[in-house]
Amino acid sequence: MNPERDTALRIGIDVGGTNTDAVLMDGNRVLASSKQATSADVSSGVIAAIEAVLREHRDHRHRVRAVMVGTTHFVNAIVQRRSLRAVTALRIGLPMGSAIPPMIDWPEELREIVSGNCILVAGGAYYTGQEYTELDEQAIRDAARALEQNARPAIAVSSVFAPIRPDLEHRAAEIIRRERPDALITLSHEIGGLGLIERENSAILNASLCALADAMVDGLEAAIASCDLNADLYVSHNDGTLMDGAQVRRYPVFACAAGPTNSIRGAAFLTGKEDAIVVDVGGTTTDVGMLIKGLARETSTAIELGGVKTNFAMPDVLSIALGGGTCIQAEDDQELSLQTQSVGFRLQEEARVFGGTTLTATDLAVALGWMDVGDAEQVRDLSENQLERFASESQSRVADAVDQVKLSASDVPVIAVGGGAPLVRDTLPGASEVLQPEFGGVANAIGAAIAQVGGRVKRLFDYQALGGRDAAIALARKEAEENAVKAGAVRETLTVVEIEEFPMPYMESAAVDLRVRVVGNLDLAEAR
Amino acid sequence: MRIETVEQVQDLTRGAVLLGTGGGGDPYIGELLLRQELREGRCAEVIHPEDLADDALVVCVAGIGAPTVLIEHLQAKDVCQALLRTLEKHLGRSVDAIIPAEVGGLNSVIPLALGAQIGLPVVNADGMGRAFPHIDMVTYSVYGCPAYPMVLANELGDCVIIEGATSDRKVEDIARAVTGALGAMTYGALYPMSGRDVKDKAIHGSISYSLSIGESIRQARQHSADPVAALLDTLHRPDLQRHARLLFDGKVLDVKRETRDGWHFAKVEMTGLRNPDVHFTIELQNEYLRALHNEKTVCIVPDLIAALDRETAEPLTGERLKYGQRLKIIGVSADPIMRRDECLEVFGPKAFGFKEPFAPLETL
Repeated sequence: MNPERDTALRIGIDVGGTNTDAVLMDGNRVLASSKQATSADVSSGVIAAIEAVLREHRDHRHRVRAVMVGTTHFVNAIVQRRSLRAVTALRIGLPMGSAIPPMIDWPEELREIVSGNCILVAGGAYYTGQEYTELDEQAIRDAARALEQNARPAIAVSSVFAPIRPDLEHRAAEIIRRERPDALITLSHEIGGLGLIERENSAILNASLCALADAMVDGLEAAIASCDLNADLYVSHNDGTLMDGAQVRRYPVFACAAGPTNSIRGAAFLTGKEDAIVVDVGGTTTDVGMLIKGLARETSTAIELGGVKTNFAMPDVLSIALGGGTCIQAEDDQELSLQTQSVGFRLQEEARVFGGTTLTATDLAVALGWMDVGDAEQVRDLSENQLERFASESQSRVADAVDQVKLSASDVPVIAVGGGAPLVRDTLPGASEVLQPEFGGVANAIGAAIAQVGGRVKRLFDYQALGGRDAAIALARKEAEENAVKAGAVRETLTVVEIEEFPMPYMESAAVDLRVRVVGNLDLAEAR
Repeated sequence: MRIETVEQVQDLTRGAVLLGTGGGGDPYIGELLLRQELREGRCAEVIHPEDLADDALVVCVAGIGAPTVLIEHLQAKDVCQALLRTLEKHLGRSVDAIIPAEVGGLNSVIPLALGAQIGLPVVNADGMGRAFPHIDMVTYSVYGCPAYPMVLANELGDCVIIEGATSDRKVEDIARAVTGALGAMTYGALYPMSGRDVKDKAIHGSISYSLSIGESIRQARQHSADPVAALLDTLHRPDLQRHARLLFDGKVLDVKRETRDGWHFAKVEMTGLRNPDVHFTIELQNEYLRALHNEKTVCIVPDLIAALDRETAEPLTGERLKYGQRLKIIGVSADPIMRRDECLEVFGPKAFGFKEPFAPLETL
């Protein structure tokens, strides 16, 4: 090896529901990749993935400085209602909000698991930032003293207009910590934006994941150590940036939807595109998302997670029922239809080309010559008509989804990634071009490996009081940049990737819900 | 009739979004208020206008202010109840029933939550059969019931009584100014009326109408029927002088938005799913006001326009419309009262700056 190139290496790992993908990267070069079935225990799966990509690169083990992991573990915990912790929900707001206590529209079974206790105390601010009543510190102290004694208590603190007055939540945390230094505290303004219910829900979910996050980070760090790597652990954030171990322990909910974001970012990296639609074709579903200025577009409305309304940033992805394992019903040589069911991870056994008896999208793709897997002899019996029907039906489904995701009617570049990428053809309507990059099958792991560090601000700014729009935006930008540097970004590499403004309707006011987001490169030299 | 199940509450709020014709404030917070009442074992009793004594005292209760503030403040348990008590003290008599000002949006649910809370009946009627942005845009006002005396309060005990005003629009101006000073979200008890007034001047059956909208969408979904078709079946009743029809089936091409002076203006451009040569436009000013098919008006205020997800019939507010959405746009006739000349003066096309006169949906 050229000693000049003896730079830090990264390993990106995407732990999906079906597969665990991994890549070993040297700067912008993919040195090795692997794809294997996800194991029940995350740590052993990660160890296997690390060993798989290092198999051909044993000499480089010492150069690996960072292991980036994207995982569906946390979202699965919420959806499957397991490994969640009971949480005390403390809301600062009285006299406001007493008619709608926390968690009232949560699914019953989830509320039973998570809700330790809901406590409302006096305090809070108007949208102007002015406090409408004094914070009831004694009530907070009393609540802290009443927390469970046996284990580390998890507590979610929310407050009216906390995005404008985060100090009230900080003050509450201080009081709680004085009584219970061991408390796991989540502050709502650190998780979600405007909308008390959704922000509070997000904070409660986060608090309920804290114990799982601790176990997970401990497990992953042990896995890295057991592979004899001198590398730091990072976990993918929903927005495609990185969190270190300490951040994941505090904000596990931000790791919930990193998979689709990593695919989109990986697709961007593999093609050099900054703006495109990314179509990630898996075994069961196809996720269509949008790449804007190199980042995944985020949702602007409340998202349900396990039946709970939340409002933290998540990738805006449209999922449709189409994948390599999609079942195909062929009535006679004329009729053919795509089902919503899929053989999923049993593709290797059930698809006809692999010796199974179920006709799948993969079989049709092989018959059409789009894919070259398995035994093509097994699909010789399909008629021209059927092949044509499948070709037009599958393309129109993808085209329809692409059209719903893009921002305007003009044709856009489409990047197809994931195991089923060949199902997206060059002639896709609405696409100016269709790119199928090399390593597209592990785009999600690449997305994890190349991730940057971000910082964001999202709250109401009074443009009038701050001396106009430009001054307000400059202030928000500075805050976002400081957040990014704190998270490990190299200051010189920071760029603004998003400025969004939402004025308040139905009211004459200069207050604007302003969102600013910056990203920069991870400082690997800073790595411990 | 009683509102006593979560299913009813969901039907009602879905109906309220549709009748909000794109605006009116998301009734989600109202849904939570009412669900909490049910959870605590109370329910809302809804009575027919004819069940009121002629001399009964009926008042509107409504939230006033910015939806952005409401989603933070939520609501204090006793704020609306305190309003009523203040008004009762001022008038020297007790309130017999509550009536919604509007059946669209958030303010359709607030009276029901209050009614459930304090055990007061809610009249199955309202003043517009939809949502409008101003306090004076109700049949009560058109037919001579003043909005005052009005009690306006926030949750902290700040309370204002508007004893009199030169017009109901002036009541609105005062209420907005006070609301601004009180944290941008207040609640009002207004339009104190007699039972006789409600019988003569209100739009009857509004709450059950809203319920039936949510119900038909839900049932069609449960039976895998086409929910938009089912909804149109429910709404199109020429025998009752009610008309409804599909105005357009297509996708959103562009949404141009502008917010000024507290108004959300937008123009939604649509085209056919297969035929790109057809153009469909919806103009909105907080609410959807006019729909044009190839530049020709096909529905105009006060007739109702609703934007529905074309598969699920989920009604969408104007803020949620964006490029690429597949929508079915339906037109629904306003209540016959709303189409009278004196009503059109106050909330017809002219009131929103349109030059063209009102023409009923069924003639366009």
